Amino acid sequence: MSAAPDIIAAANSTTRISTGNREADLVLGGGFLPSSINIVMGEPGTGKTLFAEQLLFANADGDRPVLYLTTLSEPLSKVITYLQRFHFYDESKLGTAVLYEDVGAAMAEEGAGALVSHIRSAIETLGPKLIVVDSFKVIHDLSSSPREIRELISTLGGLLSAYETTTILVGEYRSEDIARYPEFAVADGIVEFARQKRTTTDERFLRVSKLRGSSYLEGLHAIHITADGVQVYPRLVSPAIPKGYRISDERVGTGISGLDEMLDGGLRRGTTSLVIGPTGSGKTTMGLQFALAAAAVNEPTLYVNFQENPTQLGNILNALDPAGRGEGRPYLHFLYSSAVELQIDRTIVEMFSIFEAQGIRRVVVDAVGDLAMAASDQQRIHDYLYALVQRFAVREITALLMLEDTASGPLGNAAPLEAFGRLSYICDNLILLQVNRGKRLRRSISIYKTRASHHDDKVHPFRITETGVHVE
Amino acid sequence: MILCVERDPYVRELETFFLTEAGFSVTFAEDGVKALELAQQLHPDVIITEILVPRLDGLALCRRLKSDPATSDIAVLVFSLLSAESRAEDAGADAFLHKPLSPQVLKERVRNVLLARSPKQAGKSSAVRELRS
Repeated sequence: MSAAPDIIAAANSTTRISTGNREADLVLGGGFLPSSINIVMGEPGTGKTLFAEQLLFANADGDRPVLYLTTLSEPLSKVITYLQRFHFYDESKLGTAVLYEDVGAAMAEEGAGALVSHIRSAIETLGPKLIVVDSFKVIHDLSSSPREIRELISTLGGLLSAYETTTILVGEYRSEDIARYPEFAVADGIVEFARQKRTTTDERFLRVSKLRGSSYLEGLHAIHITADGVQVYPRLVSPAIPKGYRISDERVGTGISGLDEMLDGGLRRGTTSLVIGPTGSGKTTMGLQFALAAAAVNEPTLYVNFQENPTQLGNILNALDPAGRGEGRPYLHFLYSSAVELQIDRTIVEMFSIFEAQGIRRVVVDAVGDLAMAASDQQRIHDYLYALVQRFAVREITALLMLEDTASGPLGNAAPLEAFGRLSYICDNLILLQVNRGKRLRRSISIYKTRASHHDDKVHPFRITETGVHVE
Repeated sequence: MILCVERDPYVRELETFFLTEAGFSVTFAEDGVKALELAQQLHPDVIITEILVPRLDGLALCRRLKSDPATSDIAVLVFSLLSAESRAEDAGADAFLHKPLSPQVLKERVRNVLLARSPKQAGKSSAVRELRS
């Protein structure tokens, strides 16, 4: 038998080291590998130190301590002061289960080699199960030659591999450093933190670049820093299609008078429909009618909204359904995120968390154009929406995705999505709303496409009244 | 006495530190052939061997030790990077331990193999005397 499969089998059979964040563990295939050397890299302010501390406290139990070594990047006092703002910080563990030590002075005086001596001594006297070195990159500033650095890395790599401990080397590395510095060759895992600048806000991401002998979720995963630490929103990927999966024949009513007849009895359960129309064409009203119709038959429904705030939306809802006002509408759930602050990965994770908690059967997303605007590139939004629609199908969630057609609206702007054509093929059904501007606005609706179903191919006028949209 | 068969200098360094700290005397061999010679000369109480050692691998060393009446009573602990517990057992090893080194587990495993030896042998053993003291 060759050595490699034995080693991989050993790695896979052991319990992972949790990062302290369920979603980050998911990205890492369960967490870091035990007894591995890992590099957590990123420019200042990307969240890497916080990530390392969160991991440290999450593993601060049992009979062996966890050890955090600061070098010359940040003073220990500053690290601990900042740390106390987070919920995972536990005063009772500090000095016992969690040990903070400053190696900076010794390294400044004796050179980078002092770090190795300190770690060797810590292994022999403290027996830490987890060691964080922050920042490890300073060894490059404190060594006199590339040879000295290589020797240091080799010694440290050998020592840390021989002993049962998991090591996290934190550093302000850039992507191009991976090919330049020898520490990346000895690392078993590499996690990159990055920031992408947008017009009004910045987006932070995490990416796993290497995890020896283990699978992991590739690509950029959005992160957000809260009082709980680094929150990770794994990139949405298409689900595995279960064996025996079939498209339901059951029809669900849209709650919009006249539309079900056009759709040959309603929408097929588990299908996703794209509703495209300019501003004022009644998309939000239709979405709310669809949600209210579902709630009326006790089907938990989620309305995801990026435009009207909860008060505005509540007013429209109460006008459409005055009777439901006092009952609290227990089957109707809302997720609001301002279009300005929208981060698509975070919204998706929140959506799926509500799906799980409430057993959601129908969903309305108002509007996907906002998701597209928040995505850093068109390919990304395409991949997201494709994966989202696939997940809806597998869960038999019937969905309406609203899309504002700004090209044919009163302002005549360019279409929000160059990928509009691609978006339409992702969805099962395509419903078009139009507003003709004459002396009076005349609205019309047509069914452009229904997948595997018959539909009315005529253009029908419709009215919006205080009770909603009525197709004539 | 414990004979460690190991070529990784960092593992040797840690084995020396933790086993000495626990009261054992430790000597080393870097390959299986040398280990076999030292086993015949010194008759250690325990041999801790990696499988991946030059000239004669740890499992072959174990089989040779166990098939020779002069060395068959030496306890063998296979301590390896490989997940080879069943192969170590087939080779006649008294115990198996997976790397990396956990000081507590290593010391406990050495104690267990020493105590599991026959009381007659254990009575003669300097390592067991160290352990009991």
